[in-house]
Amino acid sequence: MIRSRWLGAAKKLGVIFITLFGLLTMTFVIGRLMPIDPVLAVVGPDADSSTYEQVFLQMGLDRPIWVQYFYYLQDMLSGDFGYAILTGSPVVNDIIRVLPATIELASVAIIFGVGLGVPLGVYAATHRGRLGDHLTRIITLFGYSTPVFWVGMVGLIIFYAWLNWAGAAGRIGFAYDGMFVSYTGFYLIDTLLSGNIDAFISALRHIALPALILGLNSVSFLGRMTRSFMLEQLSQEYVKTARVKGLSERSVIWKHAFKNILVQLLTIVALAYGGLLEGAVLIETVFAWPGFGQYLTDSLLMGDMNAVMASVLFIGLVFVFLNLLSDVLYKLFDPRTK
Amino acid sequence: MGTYIKYMVGLVMLLLTTVAYSNTPSDQLIIALKMNNILSLDPAAATGNDIAFVNANLYDTLIELDPRDPTIILPAIASDWEVADDGMSITFILNDNINFHSGNPLTADDVVWTLERVLRLNLALATTWKALGYTHENISDLVSQVGEYELELKFPRELDPKLVIYTLATSPSAFIIDKQRVLEHEQNGDLGHRWLTTNSAGSGAFTLDQWIPHDRIIMTRNNQYWGEQPSLERVVMRNLKESQTMRLMIERGDIDVAIGMSVPDIRSLEGAENVDIQTTPRGTLYYVAVSMHNDILANKEVRKAIRGTINYDGINNSIMPYYGIFHQRPIKLGLPATLPEPMYSVSTEKARELLRSAGYENGFTTTIRALNESPFINVAINLQNNLERIGINAEIISGTGNQVYGAMRDRRFDIIVGRGGGGFAPHPDSNLTPLLLNPDNSDAAKLTNFQGWRTGYQNDRINELITSAVSESDSAIQNSLYEEVQTIYDQDVGALFPFSQMVNTVAVRSEVEGYLDDPAAMTRLRSVTKRGE
Repeated sequence: MIRSRWLGAAKKLGVIFITLFGLLTMTFVIGRLMPIDPVLAVVGPDADSSTYEQVFLQMGLDRPIWVQYFYYLQDMLSGDFGYAILTGSPVVNDIIRVLPATIELASVAIIFGVGLGVPLGVYAATHRGRLGDHLTRIITLFGYSTPVFWVGMVGLIIFYAWLNWAGAAGRIGFAYDGMFVSYTGFYLIDTLLSGNIDAFISALRHIALPALILGLNSVSFLGRMTRSFMLEQLSQEYVKTARVKGLSERSVIWKHAFKNILVQLLTIVALAYGGLLEGAVLIETVFAWPGFGQYLTDSLLMGDMNAVMASVLFIGLVFVFLNLLSDVLYKLFDPRTK
Repeated sequence: MGTYIKYMVGLVMLLLTTVAYSNTPSDQLIIALKMNNILSLDPAAATGNDIAFVNANLYDTLIELDPRDPTIILPAIASDWEVADDGMSITFILNDNINFHSGNPLTADDVVWTLERVLRLNLALATTWKALGYTHENISDLVSQVGEYELELKFPRELDPKLVIYTLATSPSAFIIDKQRVLEHEQNGDLGHRWLTTNSAGSGAFTLDQWIPHDRIIMTRNNQYWGEQPSLERVVMRNLKESQTMRLMIERGDIDVAIGMSVPDIRSLEGAENVDIQTTPRGTLYYVAVSMHNDILANKEVRKAIRGTINYDGINNSIMPYYGIFHQRPIKLGLPATLPEPMYSVSTEKARELLRSAGYENGFTTTIRALNESPFINVAINLQNNLERIGINAEIISGTGNQVYGAMRDRRFDIIVGRGGGGFAPHPDSNLTPLLLNPDNSDAAKLTNFQGWRTGYQNDRINELITSAVSESDSAIQNSLYEEVQTIYDQDVGALFPFSQMVNTVAVRSEVEGYLDDPAAMTRLRSVTKRGE
C-alpha cells in the first residue's frame, strides 16, 4: 500500500518534471524562432556595429543554440534566472514584484466570479427552461463571448468618465504612488496597514472595475459549469428520494445536490483562478495594471528571453500547483478516493 | 437566493460608488507616458526620447540649449567656455557651488570621468561621440582636467566647435555623473553600469525616489539644488499604454501631462476647455528609403519614379498631423543651410514614363517594410496603392522596430517607411551624417549607424562635402557646402526620400504653467508650476 503510494507520487513528480521541461524547451525554441533581436532592444536602432557586437557577445548569443540552451538550463537548476533586459533587474525579483498586483486583481475577480457565478448556475439549474434560466444563459454567454478589451474600454467610459464611480488606470490614484509602505505588495492590505484610508479607498476604486470585468468571464464560466453539474445531480435518484421524504426544496438543493458538486466545483474554481492569473493580460493593458500579464507581454515583445522563460516556467508551476491542489481537495472531500 | 443576489449587487455598487477623487495635488505633476523604451537609466546606455526626458531632470549638463530657440546656448554646470584660437579645443569653467544628490561636490574630475566612461563602456550612446571621431583609445588624451573646476576638451580632428557644444547640450550621454558615488557600486570593472541601470547619481533639480520599470518613476524636489528651486514637490511618471485611457484621464484631471497619445485622441482634445495641446518640432525625419542592393531600385530612373509616386501632400494632410510636418529636404527646417522645399509631388504619368525608360514598363514586385503602428503603416499602405498605379506590386511587411530597423541594419530590405536621422542639435550635420554619409559602402564596413550605409547609397562628392563642412568654421562657407549637398542629392536622386519632419505632441492640463517641451527631448520640469484649486 505504502509502496504504491510512493510509486504514485514518483510518477506524478516525473510527469511534472517532463511537463516543465517540455514547456521550457518549447518556449526556448519559439523564442529563438521569433524574428526579434534582443540586442537591438538594448542598443537601439542607431548603434554602430562595435557596440552591437559587444552587447551580442555579452548576451552570449554568439554561442550555438544548443549551448545557449544548456547554459540556460544549468543556470536555472542553480536558481539563477538571469537579468531581464526590460528592467535591468534579476528576473526573480521582477516576478516577485509584479505578482502581487495580479494575485490581488485575480483574487477579487474570483471572489466576484464565485459569488455571482455559482448562485446563478444553481438558480438556472433549478429553474430549467424558465425565463430565469434563459436570462442566466444569455448573461453567461455574453460574459463568455464579449472581448474583455472592449468591455474594459466601455466600462472605463461609463463608470470612470461619465459616472465618476470608478478609478481609471493603475492600482491606485497616481498621486498616492509611494505615499504608503509596501508590506505585502497587496495595495488593499498595505494601505490599511499604513493607516492611509484615502489611499485604501483609492485602491478600492481602482481595483473594482478591472476586477469586475475580469470576473465577468469567471461568472460566465462558473455559472455555466455549475448549471451543468447541478442538472446532472438534480436528475439523480437520491434527489427524488429526498423530495419524496418531504425535505424542503432549499434543503434538497443546497444540502444534497450542491454538496455533491462541490468537489467538481473546487476543481474548476482552481482552474478558473489559474486562468485569471495568466489571462489578465488585456485587462492589465487597458487599466495600466502593472501585473504579471503585462510583464510577460512586454518581455515577449522585447525578445527578453530570460524574463519570458522564467515567466512561462512560473505559469507552468502555478497550473501544476493548482492541479495538485485540486487532487488533494478531491481526496479530502470525495470519500470514494480514500 | 434573491436576498443573496441583492447583497452581491449591493456590494458591487458599493465598490463602484466609493467617494470619487479627481484632480491632482497642486505640488505634484502627474505625467502619463508609454515607458516601453525606458530600459536603463544609465546615461551611457539610455536610448530614446523618454529616458532623455527623465534624466534631464535628474542630471545636469555642462551647457543647455534654450528650448524656445535652440540656437541659443545657455550656461549650466559650466558658467563659461572658450574655444581655443586654433579652433581645436574648448575650455570649460565650472560653477564651484554644485553638489550632487549624494552631497559630493561636482568637479572637473566628474566631467572628465563621465565623458571617458561613455566611450570606455561603448554602449548605445557612445555612437554619438564616435561619429565625431572620439574613441575608446583617444578619449583619455582628448579630455583633461585643468583645475578643480576647469577642463579642456580637445577635438580628435578639425570640427566645427558648435557641433561639439551642441552635442554636449543635447546628447543624453552628456549628463554629468557623480564619479565617487557610482564607483562605490562598481562590479567587475563595469564602471557602475549595472547599478546605474536602476539608480541615478546626478545633480539635477529632482532626485530619483522610485523607479519601478514599466510602471512608474517618482522624483522628489532636490532642496539643495544649486539653481532656481523647483516649485513642484514631486513628479510622478506613470506607464500608460492605452491612448484612450490617457485621454479620459487628462480630461478628468487625473493626470497633468499626457505624452504619446494617438492622433484620434489628440484630435478629440483639440478645443477641450482644460487641456492645451503643445506641438514641438523635433529634428528627426520621416522618410521612404530604398535599397541600392536591389538591382531594380538601384536604377536612378526607378528611384525617381518612386519619388514621384509618394503622395506628399495627401500623407502630410491626412496621416501626419500631430506626427510630422511637410518637409522634403534631408536637413531639418529652420536652419540657415536648409534649402527651400523642392516641392516633389505625385505624378503618376511621369512615373510610368520613367519606369518605361528604365525598362520596367510592366512594373515589378517588391516589398515595403514599416512599423506596425501609426503613422508608418498608414504611409506604407498609401505608398503601396500609389506604386500599384504605376505597376509596382509591393507587399507590406509590418513588424516591430526590431523587425523593421533590424532588417535595414542588415541591408535586407527593398523599401522602408522609417524615421531617423538624429537632428537633435541645431546643426545640419546632425541630420546629414546619420542620413547621407557613407564613407565605406562595403558590407564588411558595417556602418550600421549610418542610414546612408544601410541603403547602400554612396556619393563621393556628398561624402566629401559633409566631411569638409563639419570642419569649416566660417558659417557662410559652411552653409554653401550644405546647400550643395542638398542640390546634388536632389539631382542624383538619393535612396532616402524625406516626406515629413517629426513633431512631438503633448497634452497638458491648463493648470500647469511653464511646461515647455524641448526640441531635443530634454524637457526640464524645474520651472513648471501648477495653479492650485
